[in-house]
Amino acid sequence: MLLLRQFVMEWKLFSRDRAAMFWTFAFPMLLLMGFGTIFRSGSAPAFTLVVSGDVRATRTGRDLLAALEPTPVKLLELSAQAAGERWHKGETAAQLEPAGDGFAVKVNTYLAAQGQMAAQIAQQANLAVQLRHGGTEPTWIPVTMESPGHAHASNYAAFLLPGLLAVNLMSMGLFSVGMVNVSYREKGKFRRLAVTPLPKWVFLLGQILHRLTVTFLQSALMLLLGFLAFGIGNQGSYWMLAGVMALGTGCFMAMGFALAGFAQTSEGYAAISNALFFPMMLLSGVYFTLDSAPRWMQQAVIVLPLSPYLKALRAVFNDGAGLAGHGAGLAIVAAWTAVCFAVALKRFKWA
Amino acid sequence: MTEALRVRGIRKTYPKVVAVAGLDLEVRRGEVFGLLGPNGAGKTTTLEMIEGLTEPDAGEIRLLGLDWRRHGRAIRSRIGVQLQSTSLFNKITPREALTLYGSYYPKRRSAEDLLDLVQLRDKADAYHITLSGGQMQRLALALALVNDPELVFLDEPTTGLDPQARRGLWDVVRRIKAEGRTVILTTHYMDEAEALCDRLAIMDHGLLLTEGTPMGLIQALAIPSVVELTFDGVPPDPGPFRALLGLPVTVRGDFWEIPTPDPKALLPDLLEAAETAAVPYKQIHVRRATLEDVFLHLTGRSLRD
Repeated sequence: MLLLRQFVMEWKLFSRDRAAMFWTFAFPMLLLMGFGTIFRSGSAPAFTLVVSGDVRATRTGRDLLAALEPTPVKLLELSAQAAGERWHKGETAAQLEPAGDGFAVKVNTYLAAQGQMAAQIAQQANLAVQLRHGGTEPTWIPVTMESPGHAHASNYAAFLLPGLLAVNLMSMGLFSVGMVNVSYREKGKFRRLAVTPLPKWVFLLGQILHRLTVTFLQSALMLLLGFLAFGIGNQGSYWMLAGVMALGTGCFMAMGFALAGFAQTSEGYAAISNALFFPMMLLSGVYFTLDSAPRWMQQAVIVLPLSPYLKALRAVFNDGAGLAGHGAGLAIVAAWTAVCFAVALKRFKWA
Repeated sequence: MTEALRVRGIRKTYPKVVAVAGLDLEVRRGEVFGLLGPNGAGKTTTLEMIEGLTEPDAGEIRLLGLDWRRHGRAIRSRIGVQLQSTSLFNKITPREALTLYGSYYPKRRSAEDLLDLVQLRDKADAYHITLSGGQMQRLALALALVNDPELVFLDEPTTGLDPQARRGLWDVVRRIKAEGRTVILTTHYMDEAEALCDRLAIMDHGLLLTEGTPMGLIQALAIPSVVELTFDGVPPDPGPFRALLGLPVTVRGDFWEIPTPDPKALLPDLLEAAETAAVPYKQIHVRRATLEDVFLHLTGRSLRD
């Protein structure tokens, strides 16, 4: 009886916490409905294999493409030049190209999961073609891992590091910075400041500068550890790396502050920030391609800041490249920063 | 200019309650002015509107001759505020807090000076979270003085403190007044209002009931004295005694209360009536009326109700 009462009371308290109810029941269902709807599209293939150049020029090439036709791999045949451009933009997960008498497959290091899958299917199709022709010892298609900037690293962890830095930054901006501000406001820790002549922008900028230096220290430690433990090093200019990171930090911090202006309570803030964080992370196309998402979505997510930011970061860190091709992307990040800071300043309340 | 504060017809309505229903106030420079009333009377809302934390729905507020809408920054530089609960960061020390807040103002007092004033020198470098309730309140008071303000607001400065800590805080308030500052405080303790305030206003249900000096308000009651008969346990029905005495008798907790303009004349009659009615009282004592009685007279309720 005692146990039953305790059990019922736990349920009552839980069901009265509206934020907990939302996160436990509504949010996962919304997520499922959202992604289910976006990626439904019947039996559409999940993996795109870019076919570069004149694979069709040879008979074995034509046979291989024919063998790939009924598989879940979607073929996208492009000229060598167009394929190269697509590869460089980081949108291709795997690419098939002619090499000597046979073929070669390149897998994008950043989209390894999807790329490897497409490569395996290509491998099997190739074996099937050879089996049909019979007789000879079967050959394998050589598969290489490469970044969009054509960097090869002996160490896969090297490719993970910039992604880790970026997600870390985004979660710090969206979760800790904003959350701390909402909860401080909730507890009345800012009210005492409201009766002083301290200007709001000084307070906000002071916090952003503090977080900026914290993030730099944190990233520096991760880079140092990466170097000491795994021999991972920055391939590009440290100035560019620092510049890109400062911009990204500013952007996500400002975003956290701006969101904090819209939440009354910390529970409310948790809801808003999560609702933004997951879509930004999943839809930015940096962890898997959106090949099977509807066209409008692929175009809409271009304006999200995570993708251009991470692309620039990876270009510098892994490819040792400059930022020449990333001007437009970084401009998007800068625009987000400016808008978010303006909104944060406008919405900021002491109490 | 002798006026520190002038308030005309301020109102504040929240979705479910009228917090302040049209209020006029005037506070002269150099006086300690008290806003007295039970919890929920609208004292804090009134104070917050005056301090610029809450915008009034209607009415006019002038502090030191300045208007919030035009001179916000100037006003903030010249007033000091102690909020009802000052929530500071857990791991800031009093010395750091005083230095930081001082840096927000063009004119400031040294942290050392303030630490001495509120007797926190030996806790100057302790984390805020480790201070006692009284020490936190004194730090909050010191923070309110960090800019050498002309006008100081104290919202329930002694609520939750033990009697000794309260006395200590009263001394500090008296020192602030002696330095020539104007002090506006809210409290729901009558003894505090009597001990500290030059003038006070009594509020209830968002309205001002009366204002004046503590003495003036008490003397304005026609019945400046009260006789109390205390009992062991529950007092008996005062009916027969009341009939004999011919005066109102009110039962309060474990005693009877008989207000009187002239205790000297009343006492013989009262003792005789008690004897005749065989009232089993334990003690009898006569006290002068307090602000509590003023409030009771005005509202029919006790301040603590």
